[in-house]
Amino acid sequence: MSTASTSGPGLDDLVKLELKVLAKDESAAAAEEFIPVFHRWITERVLPELLIDVADYSHVHEGPGVLLVGHDAIYAYDQSRGEPGLLYSRRRETAPESAGIATLDQRLDSLLRCAFRACDQIEAEPQLAGRVTFDRRRIELRVNDRLFAADDDMVAALESAFSRALAASDIGNGDGPVTLERIGEARERLTFRTA
Amino acid sequence: MSQQTANGTASWKARLERWIPPHLDEQIEIYETQLEQKRQGKIDDKVFAETRLRRGVYGQRYDNGQRHDGTASRALEYPCGDLTKGPNTVWDAPGMLRIKIPFGAMNGEQMEVLADLAEEYSDGIAHVTTRQDIQLHFIHIDDTPDLMRRLAAVDITTQEACGNSVRNVTACPMAGVCRDEPFDVSPYAHALTHFLLGHKDAQDFGRKFKIAFSGCEQHACGLANMHDLGVVAQVRKAGNGTSSGTERGFRVYVGGGLGAVPHQAKVLREFVREDELLPLAQAVCRVFGRLGEKRNRARARVKFLVAKLGIEEFTRLVDEELAVLPADDRWTAYLDDLSVTDEAPTRPAATLEPGPRPEGFAEWLGSNVQRQRQPGYVTVAVNLPLGDLTSTQLRDLADTARRYNGGLVRNTVEQNIVLRNIGEADLPALYVELRAAGLGAPGASSLVDVTACPGTDTCKLGISASRGLAGELRKRIATSIRTTGVLADEAVKDLRIKVSGCFNSCGQHHVADIGFYGVSRKSDGRTVPHFQVILGGQWTENAGSYGLAVVAVPAKRIPEAVERIAGLYVAEREKGETFQSFIARVGKARVRQLLDDLTKLPMYLEDRNLYSDWGDPREYTIGDLGVGECAGEVVTAVEFGLSAAEREVFQGLLELDRGEAEGAAAKAYTAMLQAARALITTENIDIGTAPQEIVDEFRTRFYDSELFFDPYAGAKFANYLFRVHGDPETASGEEAHRRIEEAQLFIEAAHACNQRISQAQVADPLRRAV
Repeated sequence: MSTASTSGPGLDDLVKLELKVLAKDESAAAAEEFIPVFHRWITERVLPELLIDVADYSHVHEGPGVLLVGHDAIYAYDQSRGEPGLLYSRRRETAPESAGIATLDQRLDSLLRCAFRACDQIEAEPQLAGRVTFDRRRIELRVNDRLFAADDDMVAALESAFSRALAASDIGNGDGPVTLERIGEARERLTFRTA
Repeated sequence: MSQQTANGTASWKARLERWIPPHLDEQIEIYETQLEQKRQGKIDDKVFAETRLRRGVYGQRYDNGQRHDGTASRALEYPCGDLTKGPNTVWDAPGMLRIKIPFGAMNGEQMEVLADLAEEYSDGIAHVTTRQDIQLHFIHIDDTPDLMRRLAAVDITTQEACGNSVRNVTACPMAGVCRDEPFDVSPYAHALTHFLLGHKDAQDFGRKFKIAFSGCEQHACGLANMHDLGVVAQVRKAGNGTSSGTERGFRVYVGGGLGAVPHQAKVLREFVREDELLPLAQAVCRVFGRLGEKRNRARARVKFLVAKLGIEEFTRLVDEELAVLPADDRWTAYLDDLSVTDEAPTRPAATLEPGPRPEGFAEWLGSNVQRQRQPGYVTVAVNLPLGDLTSTQLRDLADTARRYNGGLVRNTVEQNIVLRNIGEADLPALYVELRAAGLGAPGASSLVDVTACPGTDTCKLGISASRGLAGELRKRIATSIRTTGVLADEAVKDLRIKVSGCFNSCGQHHVADIGFYGVSRKSDGRTVPHFQVILGGQWTENAGSYGLAVVAVPAKRIPEAVERIAGLYVAEREKGETFQSFIARVGKARVRQLLDDLTKLPMYLEDRNLYSDWGDPREYTIGDLGVGECAGEVVTAVEFGLSAAEREVFQGLLELDRGEAEGAAAKAYTAMLQAARALITTENIDIGTAPQEIVDEFRTRFYDSELFFDPYAGAKFANYLFRVHGDPETASGEEAHRRIEEAQLFIEAAHACNQRISQAQVADPLRRAV
C-alpha cells in the first residue's frame, strides 16, 4: 500500500526508522558485555551488511549503551528510559538485502526482520551465555526524521502500517493481537509502543 | 522557531529558508555546491578536504577504508567505491562534525536542536570538547548541509571549526559572574568571534589559530597561556592615571600552545584598551598569515613564528601592520552594546535556608556549586562523564535551565556544562531535577572529573584509548572515594587528571597535575598500548606551566600508577605543599622508581590482558603471530638502544629539574643521537658513534627514504634531530625544556619506525637480507 503524501516527502520515503525490542530481564547483562560481542560481529561479518565500529557509551545515564555502527544502521544494547533493549536504527538502504524496498510496509517488514535477527544472534551469543533474551511482543517504533511532520494523517497511517507489519510477523501469532500506544512528549520523536 | 512542528516540506533547505541568516546561508550553498563538484570529480581532493574542514566536517578513524580487527587489517567495503572526500579518505566513511559554540554559551533552543541532530544524524550523544565546542560523531558527509542549515537556523555555525582558520573563541565559563574578574569578557569574545569569522585576513594561515579570553590571571578557566592568542581582562586608571575613574583593557599574550611541544605564550601587550583589541587581533592574523610557515605543518603554528622571530620582532611587525590597517567601523561598533551577552537572573536571589535536603545534596553542593559575584546567586556545574550527554539529557537540561535561569548554559574546557545565575534557594529543587536526568553527579572539577580527548575511539591520530582509560579511572576513583581508599584523601581531591590519546595534547595533558598521553612499546614481538606519565603541569594561573614525561607505563596499569602517585603524595607531602611543589621536591626519579615495576611486561601468553587497550578487546598489536626469532633478536638490539636513549633523556629531565639547562639540553641531543643510531643498526651494524656520522647515516637511510616519517606528522620528528645537531649549544631554560620534549618525541617516533620495520620484515622476510 502506498502512503505517499502530496505535501512533502511521503511515508514511503521515510527511511530513518528505529525499532527497539525490550529485554526480558533488565539486569541480565551490563552494557559493557556487548563490547567484545559487537567487535566479534565485525570481525566475523556476522550480519549481511557493512559493520564499521563499536562505540561505548555505557558511562552515560540511560544512554545508547554500547553501539555497533554500521553503514546502513546502528545496532545498540540501548538503555534509554532505563529499559535495556536491542535498538535497530536504520540510516540508509544500500545493503543488497534492502534492494527493492519501495513502500513503508516493505520497510517495516525489513526492519522487523533485521531487529529480530540481531535479537536471535544476541540470544545465541556464547559470551552472554543465554542471559539476555528479548520480549518480541514489547517493541517500540520511532520516526527518526523530523522532516516528516507528525500530523494526524501521518500518525494514523504509520500506526496502521506498523500494526499490519506486526500482524504479519511471527509475533502476530500466538498470544493474540498486538495493540499500539503512542508514547513520549510532543517534542520527542514520534514513537509507538506495543501495549 | 520550532524544527519539530513545522509542517511537511520536501527538504530542510525549503523548511528553514526564512530562518537562516543570509551570510550563513551563502556559505552553506557554496559548500553544497562543492559537495556536488566532488561527487562529479571536479574538485581536487586536497582542496576539498580543506574546504570541508573549514566547515567543521572532520575525518574519523577508519575513514581510509581499513580497519584492523586484532588479527589483520581488513577492507571496509563502502558502497561509494572510489569516491573520496580528501586524500585517502572514503566518502561514505563516518566522520565527525565539530560545532562551534563561542565561549561555550548555549540557549535552550540551541540545546534542543543539538539534541535533535544527535539523534537523527549521529549516535544520540552530544560531546562537549576541551575547547567548549560540541562534537557529533558517525556523521555521513551527505547529511552535513542539512545539519548546517538546522544549526544556522538557531544561530550556530560550523564555519571555521576545523582547518587552518580561527577556531572557536573560548572564554572562562564564569565570565560575568566570577568574583575575581574586573569585568565580563563575554561581549569581547562575542565581538572577536564575529569579527574574525570569514575575515579576509584570517584565511591564509598555515595552521589553526586559537583564541581564549580569561577574566583573571590566577585561575585556569580561560587557559590564556596555552593559546595562540590569549586575552586577559585588566583595568587601569583612565588616561594612564591622569584622570579619575578606570578604563577597561586586556593583557594580550601570543604564541602559546600545547601540541607535541608546548610553548608558553609571550606577552604581546601589557595593556590594550578595549577599542584597540579587534585591530590588534587583526594585525596578529596578518603577520601570521604573511610570515607563518605554510609548507611544514609541524612548524606552522604561530608559536613557532614567535619563537623564530622573538617576541620583540613579532611585536614590531604587529605594530607595522597596525599602522597601515584600513580603519574598520566594526573595531568599536560593538562597544555601544556590551550588554549583548548579558544573562540576567530570572529567579529571586533568596538565601539557602536550613532544612531537609535530598540525598547526596551536601556532597554535590560542596563540589559543583560556586558563589557568584552577585549576592544570592551561584553557578552549578553539571559533571558530564567524558564530556558526553544524551539527547534526552540535553533536552532535560534545556528545560531545567529555562526554569531556573532563562535557559542559558556554558560549556567548559573541562568538558562540563555550567548553569549560572541560580538562586541559592533553588538549589535543592534544581539538584533533584538534575539527578533525575542523570546529571547530578558530584565531583565536578575534581580528581574524578577526568578529561579526555577522543583518542582511538574515533580519532585518526589516536595511539591509545584515552577515553577508555579516563572511563576506567573515573570508576576506580569513585570506588576509592566510596570505600575511603587513598583517592578519597582530601589532599588529592582537587587534583586534575587529563588524558590524550597521542602526543598532540587535545586532552591538555601538559597542564594537568597528572597527565597521560598515548604511546606504544614492543614486547614479546607484539605492540603494547602505553601511556606516558606527565607530571609537573600547572592548571591554575591560566595553565601556568607545563609538565614533562616521567615514564611510559602499560595502559592497563595506569590506574595502579595513579594510586601509587597519589599515595606517595598523601604520605609524604609537607603541610600546605601543592602537588606540583611536591613533585619538584621529591623529584621525577623517585616517581619513576615508584612505577618501575609496572613497566616490566609479562610475556604475551602469561597475561594477554596487557596486550589490549581499555574498552577494546582486540589485540592491540598489528604485528603477525608468525614473528620469527631472528627478527626478535634484531628488535631486541634496537630496543636496547632505544631504551638507552630513554634513560639519557630522563637524566636530562632530572638535570632540567635541578636548573641545569645546559646539561639537560646536551642530554636531549645525545638521546636523539642514541635513538637514531639504534635504528641505523638495523641496516648498518658497524655504525660508529660520531654525531656527524650518525646524522648523515640517519638522513640517508631513514629521512631520504621517508622510513622515519610519521604517517601524519611526516618529517616533523626527524627535523628535531637535524635542528639540534645544527645548533647543539643553545641552552636557555626554555630551550632545554623544549629539547627534552623533542627528544622524547623523537624516541617515540623511533619506536614507531622500528615497529613499522618489524612489520615490513614479517610481511617480506627477504627485506632483512638486503
